[in-house]
Amino acid sequence: MNIETEINTGSETRETTLVAKDLKKSYESFEAVKGVDFEVHRGECFGFLGPNGAGKTTTMKMIYGAAVPTGGKLRVAGLDVTRHEREVKRRIGVVPQENNLDEDLKVEENLLVFGRYFDLPKKAIKRRAAELLEFVQLSEKASSEVEQLSGGMKRRLLIARALINDPEIMVLDEPTTGLDPQARHLVWDKLRELTREGKSLVLTTHYMDEAAQLCDRLVIMDDGRVIAEGAPRDLVEEHVSPEVLEFRANPDALDKLAEIVESVADGTEHFGEALLVYTSDPEAVTDKVRESGVWVENTMYRQTDLEDVFLKLTGRRLVD
Amino acid sequence: MGGVRIPALRGTFRVWQRNATIFRKYWKTIMFPNLFEPLLYLTALGLGLGAFIREGGINGLTYTQYVAPGLLAANAMFAASFESTYNTYVKLKIGRVYDAIVATPVNAEDVVAGEYLWAGTRAALYGTAFLGVITVLGFVFSPEALLVQSFWALLIPLILLVVGGMFSVTGTLFTSLISSIDLYAYYFTLVITPLFLFSGIFFPIEDFPSPVPEIAWFTPLYHAVNVCRSLAVGPSPYVLVDVVWILIFTGALALLPIRFMRRRLIS
Repeated sequence: MNIETEINTGSETRETTLVAKDLKKSYESFEAVKGVDFEVHRGECFGFLGPNGAGKTTTMKMIYGAAVPTGGKLRVAGLDVTRHEREVKRRIGVVPQENNLDEDLKVEENLLVFGRYFDLPKKAIKRRAAELLEFVQLSEKASSEVEQLSGGMKRRLLIARALINDPEIMVLDEPTTGLDPQARHLVWDKLRELTREGKSLVLTTHYMDEAAQLCDRLVIMDDGRVIAEGAPRDLVEEHVSPEVLEFRANPDALDKLAEIVESVADGTEHFGEALLVYTSDPEAVTDKVRESGVWVENTMYRQTDLEDVFLKLTGRRLVD
Repeated sequence: MGGVRIPALRGTFRVWQRNATIFRKYWKTIMFPNLFEPLLYLTALGLGLGAFIREGGINGLTYTQYVAPGLLAANAMFAASFESTYNTYVKLKIGRVYDAIVATPVNAEDVVAGEYLWAGTRAALYGTAFLGVITVLGFVFSPEALLVQSFWALLIPLILLVVGGMFSVTGTLFTSLISSIDLYAYYFTLVITPLFLFSGIFFPIEDFPSPVPEIAWFTPLYHAVNVCRSLAVGPSPYVLVDVVWILIFTGALALLPIRFMRRRLIS
């Protein structure tokens, strides 16, 4: 009722399903999220990329009510998360980072009991559970114990569980972490199918290929802040040169090389025993190196990708 | 944030329903030891020890008549205590079942209230089974001194529901404060066992010198034992004091674990 009117008269446009403005979360001893802004459009896959401790999971938790914002605004499906806690949770589906399936219940029972938390009618739950098991290819496991499932199957069951209430928005915290390549691809396929059906997906990941494969748009977070935003391809164009050359040699030679290519490179970076040279003219760079006569063990040439953007912006560190 | 949140009935019921669904699958396995244990006590103490105090009995009751209703109350305490300690801890910290539930329209406060209600239900179920057993045993083995003599005993399951809820509140309070499952040894050794021994189940605590009876009056199981014994032999109006004591104690503490558990589930 007043919830409905709020959606219609809300300040955000119709396509926007999730809006954060100067969103903050601080705990007693530290600030996890230091004021972030983002908007998720209806039907898109929106990613949060960043090293561990960047504030991605905390941001996800604020969306699904496991953390209460300490500042700013967060509206999910048109509703303020602090004022309409239950109503927001009714409209979203959550795939948490750690498996929290109910091990006392069998596979199908997990979906049936979960559907009851949303007060769905019994028949509707039963029908939807069967459809969802089909969707995530677990129909033949319906009466198995959860602990007998593989990691990939558990993740798919979590996805099915998150869909039991037919949510407008799905929140996925590292949906493929710890899965083998086949299992990852299967999860990706399922997530793509969901966006095709018009669901909005919000996910965190620290796999660049995952972000590039799935996300229409993404933000890169670091140290509690959003440091870049855009479509994966635009981010690459905006922040790094189109091509990169990787030279491997001993450290002294690398220093010399960096000086030699300076005039034709857009940027260089030392990374262990390698020198990365970003450029839009790779031939000029290789010519320079060849002329110099510096001995190079190995040269690799590739197009820049999201990983280069990520490493450039967050510095060469992956915090664990 | 600030104030304590009041649980919603619907969410409370959903959590209760989840536990009931699981209980229905395993009830035969779970129920047997819980029924068997009080029978062991009844045999060892009622018949064994009771043989030595046959003369006169206690307050006009044979020793078995005296002990049996007290064991009903203790059984409810144990059922609710295991539920709200080990079982709740596993759902909170190990299986992370509560994390999954609070991401649905069911809130943290509903989870705790649902667990209270479930612990009470479980206590009432066990108690009803045990009540049935001792009623039959009385008819079969000592028809001249029935273990359950009054129709008021029909109210005992209801009382056990409340007693179970009460011990769920204290157990959940402890659970909401600890960070290691090993600490339950303290709860059971320092709280549950003394209550079991000094709440007038096996001997009248009133005969101890002051201040023991006064201390007993301020503990929860003492009142639960009084109510069960009175209902089994025919109540006195004084039972109402015990019932009111139980309700006030439970009501006064019930919101505290809700507050603490919410803090552990929602940051």
